[in-house]
Amino acid sequence: MTKARKTNGKIFIGAAVLVAVIVAFIVMFFLFRPRTAQGAKAITIEVVDNNEASTVYEVHTDAEYLRQAMEDAKGLTFSGSESEYGMMVDTVNGVTADWNVDQSYWGFYINGEYCNYGIDAQPVADGDVFRIVYSK
Amino acid sequence: MRSLWQTVMSSGSSTVNKMKTHKNLKNGAFDVALTGMAIALIEVCKAAMMGLPNIELTSFWIIMFTLFFGKKILFVIPAFILIEGCMFGFGIWWVMYLYAWPLLALLTWIFHKREHVLFWAVFSGFFGLFFGALCAIPYVVNGSFNGGVRSGLYAGFTWWIAGIPYDLLHCVGNFVLMTALYYPVKTMFSRMKKIRY
Repeated sequence: MTKARKTNGKIFIGAAVLVAVIVAFIVMFFLFRPRTAQGAKAITIEVVDNNEASTVYEVHTDAEYLRQAMEDAKGLTFSGSESEYGMMVDTVNGVTADWNVDQSYWGFYINGEYCNYGIDAQPVADGDVFRIVYSK
Repeated sequence: MRSLWQTVMSSGSSTVNKMKTHKNLKNGAFDVALTGMAIALIEVCKAAMMGLPNIELTSFWIIMFTLFFGKKILFVIPAFILIEGCMFGFGIWWVMYLYAWPLLALLTWIFHKREHVLFWAVFSGFFGLFFGALCAIPYVVNGSFNGGVRSGLYAGFTWWIAGIPYDLLHCVGNFVLMTALYYPVKTMFSRMKKIRY
């Protein structure tokens, strides 16, 4: 077998490995992706603003993701910029956090842990406690 | 007393030195221009493709610049990372840039003798596919500091899993862009190298 053919063979093996890893990643995603729960849920959303003042919202919602649950919270207002990853929240209850100005941001927590997903992808389950904290 | 021969040789050596200095200055100017062009290309392409989720040309340009201009990438990557930080803020994502792009350049340099387009397309695809896993490292570290190693690993793992659809897009995008652009850019860079040397 010539050297060129050997090299081509190795490249094709590499391409096959790439396809195999892609399939493995897809399987991993479907096995471990965030699950949502359908139906009625009672959750708590606490907002801690830039003066460390806390406002608590008891929310009854059918939402599967946090964004819709936040929209269902009476009195809670929020806005931000839409991106390919969902909404990036920059303003909550009229208070704007701007990283580029003073390295401030709105941190999202679920049951005491930092949220690993954006509000459009964060699943909501019955009894969840969310905290939205102005952080600097 | 200096002989005529010594004087002629000394004068000749001085001329050679002057020529060398002139050549060095010329080469230096070329390198500065090249580095500037590389950074501008990466930034312009990044800005132009910002609306597309994880479809980017940064990986492609870093691979191509490393292949054709070798060590000069050592000036391009830090400048690019610094500009990104200044433009978008020095957040946790910026920490990922500190090691992800230099790692890409290092791996490219290790395989720099490979010339087959499919090799670089597969290589680029792998980098895109594992980009999310690479970027999960700061979340593991951050989570470990806040709640122990187990909590850190969980935070990194869930963050990586959530981003897998974007990693798949990144992989396919890198593969297709490398396949489409490798030969045209290789031809262009080869011509530039001929002009330079």
